[in-house]
Amino acid sequence: MSDFVEQCRLEWRRLGVPDPLAEEMATELAADLREAEADGISAEEFLGGSTFDPPSFAATWAAERGIIPAPSREGSPRRRPFVLVAFTALAAVTLTVAALLLLTGEPKVSLVRSSGARPHVGSPSPGLVLPSGPSRHVLVASTSASAPVEWILLILAIVALGFAAWLWSNWGRPRSSVPAL
Amino acid sequence: MRRMVPGSQRRTELLRGVLDLCLLAVMDEGPAYGYEMTKRLRDRGLSIVGEGSIYPLLGRLERDGLVETYRGASNGGPPRKYYLPSSAGRLALAIGVSEWRAARDAVDSVLAPVKVEVAS
Repeated sequence: MSDFVEQCRLEWRRLGVPDPLAEEMATELAADLREAEADGISAEEFLGGSTFDPPSFAATWAAERGIIPAPSREGSPRRRPFVLVAFTALAAVTLTVAALLLLTGEPKVSLVRSSGARPHVGSPSPGLVLPSGPSRHVLVASTSASAPVEWILLILAIVALGFAAWLWSNWGRPRSSVPAL
Repeated sequence: MRRMVPGSQRRTELLRGVLDLCLLAVMDEGPAYGYEMTKRLRDRGLSIVGEGSIYPLLGRLERDGLVETYRGASNGGPPRKYYLPSSAGRLALAIGVSEWRAARDAVDSVLAPVKVEVAS
């Protein structure tokens, strides 16, 4: 038991909990654990699963008291929805754009690798030339059905939307180990 | 469709929502230190093992100004940190209890017609 309290002390010191407060919590905990032991109640029975993770127990207690900032948890309630909404919106826009491009048929966008030769003047909508080493990538607007960019965008958007749907469906499931108020 | 929640997990989830009320209620009977509160709860059949330690919850009540604390002598032991509800805590307790009773009655009215038969 004293080992548990000592580990809590170490964690509070590491977290920068002021000494008087750390001493107060350690004293309170040690006295309660001693009394529980005298009553034949083990530390595990008294503290539950916390017994196996003193640093986490100590950090949670200090955070709940407002002595240290609450640890940033994965998917904190404020940050996660914003990121998730932005991701979902981006995927939806991408899907819409790709679908429109495919449905209207014009323009087809594709990346064409050329070996230094500029596109013919007479070719339809030569587009943007992207320098990339000895060869060049040319973003060409064409009517070619072989242009794969729209299809790649469409597939990526569908996968992203599926992933977003999975994240939304898991959003809000209980994950706190601390009793809620 | 989500899976049915196992019995022990359901109990834990139910208790999690009212454990603060239970702590405020037992300390409202008289100032108590941490272990003493768990004894009072256990005497009423409410073992909180599995619900986690009460200390973070007491810390939160203290941070929110719902409890007051003082150092006092215990029966033959070292001085202890006693907790008792503040005026804000008593108000929160009263509101929480009425919310609990309303929820309990509503759930009871739904579940009351259910006949429970346990096969031996």
